Amino acid sequence: MGWLAVGLLAGILLGMLVGWVLWPTQFTDADLTVLQESYRRDYTVMIATNYTLDGDLMGARQQLFQLGETDPEAWLLAITVETILQGTAAQDAAHLVRLCRDLGLYSPLMEPYLSSE
Amino acid sequence: MNEPRPLPRRRQRNETGRSGEARFTPISLILIGLLIGVAGSLYYTWIVDPVIYVDASPARLRADFKAEYIFLVGQSFVADEDWPRAQRRLDLLADPGIGQTITTLLEQTLRRGDSAERARSLALLAAQLGETGPAVAIFAPTVAVVPDGSPTPTAAAATATPTLTATSTLPPTATPTATTTPTATATPSPTPRPAYRLLSQERVCQRTLPAPRIEVITVNAFLEQEPGVTVVVSWEDGEDRFYTGFQPEFGAGYGDFLMAPDVSYSVALVPGSPVVSGLRIEPCPANLGGLPGGWRLTFQNLTIPTREP
Repeated sequence: MGWLAVGLLAGILLGMLVGWVLWPTQFTDADLTVLQESYRRDYTVMIATNYTLDGDLMGARQQLFQLGETDPEAWLLAITVETILQGTAAQDAAHLVRLCRDLGLYSPLMEPYLSSE
Repeated sequence: MNEPRPLPRRRQRNETGRSGEARFTPISLILIGLLIGVAGSLYYTWIVDPVIYVDASPARLRADFKAEYIFLVGQSFVADEDWPRAQRRLDLLADPGIGQTITTLLEQTLRRGDSAERARSLALLAAQLGETGPAVAIFAPTVAVVPDGSPTPTAAAATATPTLTATSTLPPTATPTATTTPTATATPSPTPRPAYRLLSQERVCQRTLPAPRIEVITVNAFLEQEPGVTVVVSWEDGEDRFYTGFQPEFGAGYGDFLMAPDVSYSVALVPGSPVVSGLRIEPCPANLGGLPGGWRLTFQNLTIPTREP
């Protein structure tokens, strides 16, 4: 039985090596919550851009919820503020500000965009 | 003499030992343990507690999320017309056949009767990726496909959505006299809203097969077939939409809808047209085969397009 235990232990270690490291389960049907943060940020920008085109506030809100953030509105506002501060994507910022405004979110940084509308 | 001779004790011991050793040699014990261990831990690592990636790329998304992602990329492209950015976003899907994927999505969108905006943004992406086909041609039109007086069909222009307020532009009631109220007709909208009239309503009959369908043909003011018009078919407890031009083998402005027995249908065009109601499957005359038949409706766009020079 000692040899059996040795084999069992080796098998368990080998299986863990294969199952977790060498050949782990490849999930190909993930939802938006597992996206890398940079992709979720970009996705948020696209949600805001889409909202500018279709004006579907409920749809935009639902899409934000799908990102899996605990506070989707805080997440949106944070991205809006960061986008404005970066100053490299004025059009994205305008879309984000519009969605923030219509969701009742506010930051003083949004003022120039709000006044230009 | 006949008594069997007892086996020597040594030989008996050897046989027992040989069979026991054959089953339980150290190597076989290790192999058995190894197999059990590998199977058990693979079950655990693949099924019970698999590795979960939390920093996934869009390539890992489920099909419906991928479809939504592609649609949002299309909408962003419509909004900012930044193709390199759209391309970078699409590249994240790691789909070597992304053009075909988008075309398939477009066709699914059309079959589901989703909004024309969704179809347009997908068609624009597909067209940018070099995809062709009737759906792409209809919803991502080039100048040759849209001969009316609308501005050059850039991506932004393609997003303009026709509304149902087309009655204000019906030209037949305008009196051509130049004596009074010139402002009433002298302010053409930059994007004229199309309005259609019912040009004809005919039976659809086939001698050999039932033809229980509603065929809609849309033509422009010059009676040339016109693709890309959204048709709404409604009945007592439902509604469906289809687009003309999706079966170019029957004509650029052709579209059809399969009717169910004992259902009364109404048909109208989304850009604005009379509602044709009471359409049911009816038996064709005996000289036309006597089989169940449908209806063919031809709508004419009353907006006169200005030709490109």
